[in-house]
Amino acid sequence: MITLTNLSKIFRTELIETHALREVNLQVEEGEFAALTGPSGSGKSTLLNILGTLESFDSGDYLLDGKSINGLSDSALSKLRNEKIGFIFQGFNLIKDYSIFDNIELPLRYRGLKPAERKQRIEHALELVGLHARRHYFPSQLSGGQQQRVAIARAIAGKPRILLADEPTGNLDSLMARQVMELLEQINQQGCTILMVTHDPDQARRAGRNIQIIDGQLHDSTLYEPLSAQSA
Amino acid sequence: MEQFIYYLKVSFKGIKRAPLPYALTIFILSVGLGVFFANATFYYQLNRDPLPHKSDKLFFPMLNLVPYECSTDCKTPSVLSYNNVEKLSQTDIPTQAAAMYSADGYLRQSTEQAPLPVSIRITQRDFFSLFDVPVLHGSIWPDNSARHEVILTKSSAEKLFGRTNVIGEKLLLDDRNVTVAAVLDTWQMLPRLYDANNQNHLSDTDDIYLPLETGYDMNYLSNTQSQTFDDTDYRQLSTQGRTGALHQLQYWVQLDTPAQQQRYWQFMANLVQDEKAAGRHPSAPNNQLVAMRNIVSYFGGESSDIKAFALVTLLFLLVCLFNASHLSLNRYLSNQYEFSLRRALGASRSQLQLQMLADVLLMAIFTIIGALITGFAGIKLMNQLLPANSLFSNWDLPLLLSLLVIAFVCSYLVTLYPSLRASFGTLNQQLKE
Ligand SMILES: Nc1ncnc2c1ncn2[C@@H]1O[C@H](COP(=O)(O)OP(=O)(O)OP(=O)(O)O)[C@@H](O)[C@H]1O
Ligand SMILES: [Mg+2]
Repeated sequence: MITLTNLSKIFRTELIETHALREVNLQVEEGEFAALTGPSGSGKSTLLNILGTLESFDSGDYLLDGKSINGLSDSALSKLRNEKIGFIFQGFNLIKDYSIFDNIELPLRYRGLKPAERKQRIEHALELVGLHARRHYFPSQLSGGQQQRVAIARAIAGKPRILLADEPTGNLDSLMARQVMELLEQINQQGCTILMVTHDPDQARRAGRNIQIIDGQLHDSTLYEPLSAQSA
Repeated sequence: MEQFIYYLKVSFKGIKRAPLPYALTIFILSVGLGVFFANATFYYQLNRDPLPHKSDKLFFPMLNLVPYECSTDCKTPSVLSYNNVEKLSQTDIPTQAAAMYSADGYLRQSTEQAPLPVSIRITQRDFFSLFDVPVLHGSIWPDNSARHEVILTKSSAEKLFGRTNVIGEKLLLDDRNVTVAAVLDTWQMLPRLYDANNQNHLSDTDDIYLPLETGYDMNYLSNTQSQTFDDTDYRQLSTQGRTGALHQLQYWVQLDTPAQQQRYWQFMANLVQDEKAAGRHPSAPNNQLVAMRNIVSYFGGESSDIKAFALVTLLFLLVCLFNASHLSLNRYLSNQYEFSLRRALGASRSQLQLQMLADVLLMAIFTIIGALITGFAGIKLMNQLLPANSLFSNWDLPLLLSLLVIAFVCSYLVTLYPSLRASFGTLNQQLKE
């Protein structure tokens, strides 16, 4: 479902060039639950952002469902983000003066769904994360774990086929982290492909696959060999 | 529609987050627009064409047919003698024509009443059809001969009698008997271009109308321009005014076609040549025929202070626009995080532009209300400072519509750059902050 070939990303500032990703090759199949691990600054968030089309890349190719995202227009990319991809950010990124309900509604709004359809999806997502009773609360009235569950609900309300999660349990204590992890596993069992950045080795082990990034290079992509290596 | 209401709600949320900068933006825009608009009102009204369908067909002929040879500063006089008007009337080329001047008098119903000061336009029959004056009751004088009949405006009829249908009623005009021949309907030619040669075109219409011959007979002296080029005593209008070189008459002719205009021009040239041959035209001929459309600029009557003021207020509006967009840029940048979040969740740029349009609409509505209030106050203030121009402070539909358009454009400009900046940021960077 996801194929990256020789993908590189360089951040340029006036002083330095940071090679955040170097010639990354990666293949992710539908329904996988993969953990991305690696030291801080190794390029995990960068990779996830590129997968989520929030960030551009300098060279290489990114195929989503067999189609290259190179050269897609802004509206095509927006549509793709909106319909195929759910994103859980490193922070929760909820809008503070919007209710839980309104926060989850955001991506559905831009998809042009009918009000009834939106409501049904939001309520379904809220039930899944166990926050239906608090749908009229504001983010500040929830605990960190609950806020993260709202962020997850927002990511999955649009029924994406890929869920990209950047340290979804990073800000949570171990009990809450476990609950969130269980929730993600449940979502994965319903067929959603998940890529999750984590620092927790336990969580990485619970995921079906462990991809390690060190200094912008993929190390443990056991299931995938570069095309060039195969043909050799 | 439901989506647009959502956009409006989002705009409101944004306003609620930082109400003060928003109110300040609206305030600055309103003041800038209001001041500009108050001034634009005067500029527009003072420069408007009161008779757009015929202002290029009405002409003001001038001759330097005077009995002395001009040596310095030989400008053709803008007014004609009775004698000259008679000569100019010896043709049927114009569709219609009327000579006129103005005088002051007192009017009352009986000697027991206190007299009402009135300004009198002393003129000929065609005046009313030349300038499209509507008649409410009665009828205009059938010809140009002397008759003791006045025509009243609606408001002077109401002032004198308390009603308008007063045809045949007797009045005392400076204690001489006249009867009312007609009452005009409400009429205000703004500016009164037929009086532009006296720079008098910005004042109110006259109160009553008297036939030219009667005006001369009753010895009504001109209250504006009158020049004597011989030893005629201008105070002896009834006896010497018709024969001497006493120039005080404005003369207007209607020439509908270019051919008519050409023929009239030729007629004037021939007339002056004949006069020269007869020894009554010592100066070099210098005839003028000015269209009503150009009459104000011909006599240099454009109000330059209003023009300068309009320019200043335009600059002021620009400064306000810059300030407002600076404020609004700050507002948008503080909301940039939310913009980026929406983009990350799948809003396209064009959807965010629609959001911006909702912002613009809201801002335009508030700004229009503010600008109308400041504009209205500005006009009241101007009327206090320059009462002479107060006739020209009315708002009409085209003026109001253009205010709406300008307010919308300004709101758009103020919102455009900031929102473009906000929607083109690098997504992931702002989400980290
Ligand atoms: N916008 C940027 N401009 C310049 N350099 C950047 C930018 N974003 C990331 N980098 C650099 O790219 C490298 C990879 O960053 P990235 O955020 O992907 O790391 P990470 O693996 O997610 O780290 P962490 O575990 O701390 O979140 C880092 O060296 C970082 O400094
Ligand atoms: Mg990171």
